[in-house]
Amino acid sequence: MSRFKIANIIAYGFVTLFSIYVLMPILVMVLTTFKSKREIFLEPLGIPSQFGISSFEKALSVGLGSFMMNSFIVSFFAVFLIVTISGMAAYVLSRIDFKINKFVYLLIVAGFAIPPAAVLVPLYTMVSNLNLLNSLFGVIMPLTAFGIPFTVILFYAFFLDFPKEVEEAATIDGCTKLQIFFRIIVPLSGPVIASAAIFQTVWIWNEFLLALIMLTSDDFKTLPIGLLKLRGEWTSDWGAIMAGLTIAVIPVLIVFLIFQKYFVRSLAGLGK
Amino acid sequence: MNKNNTQTNSFSLSNDKVSATILLVPALIFCTIFIFIPAIGTIVGSFYSYSLTSMNNWKWVGFGNYVKATQDEYFWVALKNNFIIVFASIVLQVGVGTILAAILDRGIKYGRVIFRTIIFTPMVISSVAVSLIWLIIYDPNVGILNAIFKSIGLSTPSKGWLGDPNISIWMIMITAAWQNTGFMMVLILAGLQGVSKEVYDAAEIDGATGVKAFWYITLPMIRNVLIVAILITTIGAFKVFEFIFVFTQGGPANATQVLGTYIYLQAFNLLHMGYANALSVILLIIALFLGWLQLKSSRKA
Repeated sequence: MSRFKIANIIAYGFVTLFSIYVLMPILVMVLTTFKSKREIFLEPLGIPSQFGISSFEKALSVGLGSFMMNSFIVSFFAVFLIVTISGMAAYVLSRIDFKINKFVYLLIVAGFAIPPAAVLVPLYTMVSNLNLLNSLFGVIMPLTAFGIPFTVILFYAFFLDFPKEVEEAATIDGCTKLQIFFRIIVPLSGPVIASAAIFQTVWIWNEFLLALIMLTSDDFKTLPIGLLKLRGEWTSDWGAIMAGLTIAVIPVLIVFLIFQKYFVRSLAGLGK
Repeated sequence: MNKNNTQTNSFSLSNDKVSATILLVPALIFCTIFIFIPAIGTIVGSFYSYSLTSMNNWKWVGFGNYVKATQDEYFWVALKNNFIIVFASIVLQVGVGTILAAILDRGIKYGRVIFRTIIFTPMVISSVAVSLIWLIIYDPNVGILNAIFKSIGLSTPSKGWLGDPNISIWMIMITAAWQNTGFMMVLILAGLQGVSKEVYDAAEIDGATGVKAFWYITLPMIRNVLIVAILITTIGAFKVFEFIFVFTQGGPANATQVLGTYIYLQAFNLLHMGYANALSVILLIIALFLGWLQLKSSRKA
């Protein structure tokens, strides 16, 4: 009995300590936002004596609102394109016996493996030659491409397990594959569409490298690139930097807490 | 692929081919234009010497860029750092993630969802934001890490936590683990929840309980999930960019470069486009090899 208790204490102790390690930096971020400059330097471990908002004003002055808007536009369009295009392709791969399907699937897996850093220079040259540097369209297109392979794989696994009877009935009624896809498959694919959309939104909202090389003008910067400007502008004004981070991070955390079940589910499915 | 249902469905073939092509083509166009053509461009470009400003002035150098890489001390440093990050990430993220998952699966009764939610949270924060948050923690003047070390009477590194490459690579690891361990935990937890209760009952009859049962029975049963977790972590470790870009910019003296940051440095700071392409091809080969491993393991699973 006592041995059982000790094991129990160790188990709770371990997850509690790890949770503190996870929460502490977020707490530091929020508390630093409200501290005065003096408090930041003299009492790194203390809590703020008053809740000043001057740091927020400084942070917003670098244009966080517009960075966030850009991130929103990029995420919305890229995720919409990724989910639509990937769902369509995965359906074909899972249902129709083209001779080239195996080859296409291998291409998709290869596309999943290739990181943006491995094609950085030609991709930059291409976007630059198309005159799409410093445009949201110029980032949305390659980001969409890089999101497709993983999403195709996700949908493919889902469609393989999908009951075939309904489709067969529809085929007998004379529907084409195109009609079946949009009228039958899509309305019944809610969960996997949600998983794919959540996963891609997190990825694109946070994507850094491609946005870094393609968006150099402040008007088009997305949030991750914009956050660096915060550091450039307020070099050692930690209050302002942390205020900017708080503005950027807290909305994402709230969305996460509301939908956490779906987040966890979409990621957990990866191992299967 | 799925051979059965095409035969059971009766449909007009030509109509079907048209629909299928319409559905498949957009994905192929996107991937071809923005992934495969640039990948070929990287390989072709790696045999030339050119800079961003003289796009039309390509000079054929054969394998010159690759020879340069083998003689470039910093390329080897970057590659070595990537491998350190791979091994440390597997231990810290997959290892600790497994322990956390095991505890949440069967070790504790109360608060599972709360702990899982908290530990998973950093995964949704952008790596740049994560890096900036940890930058203040590591700061020698205002950071709480220094404050904690001083308050319990320990000495702090003289060049700061990020100034000495031997220390800063570990600070990068701690930050990466902070962001990714929860992901591994959730992935492995999903695998553990697939292990049926009967297995544990049978194990108990044989006298295996607690840690022993976990080590000898549970772990082998979730082998496939663990392989996927290790592969995802390895692929992630070769993609590391933001932490280093924000913390050290690869310095001091290139000691903390990884392939990603070194490619960026060569291409966009030094404008050695051909050389950057050669380094990219090396990363491409590693990435495709890992992708191939993943494909093999997922087929087994």
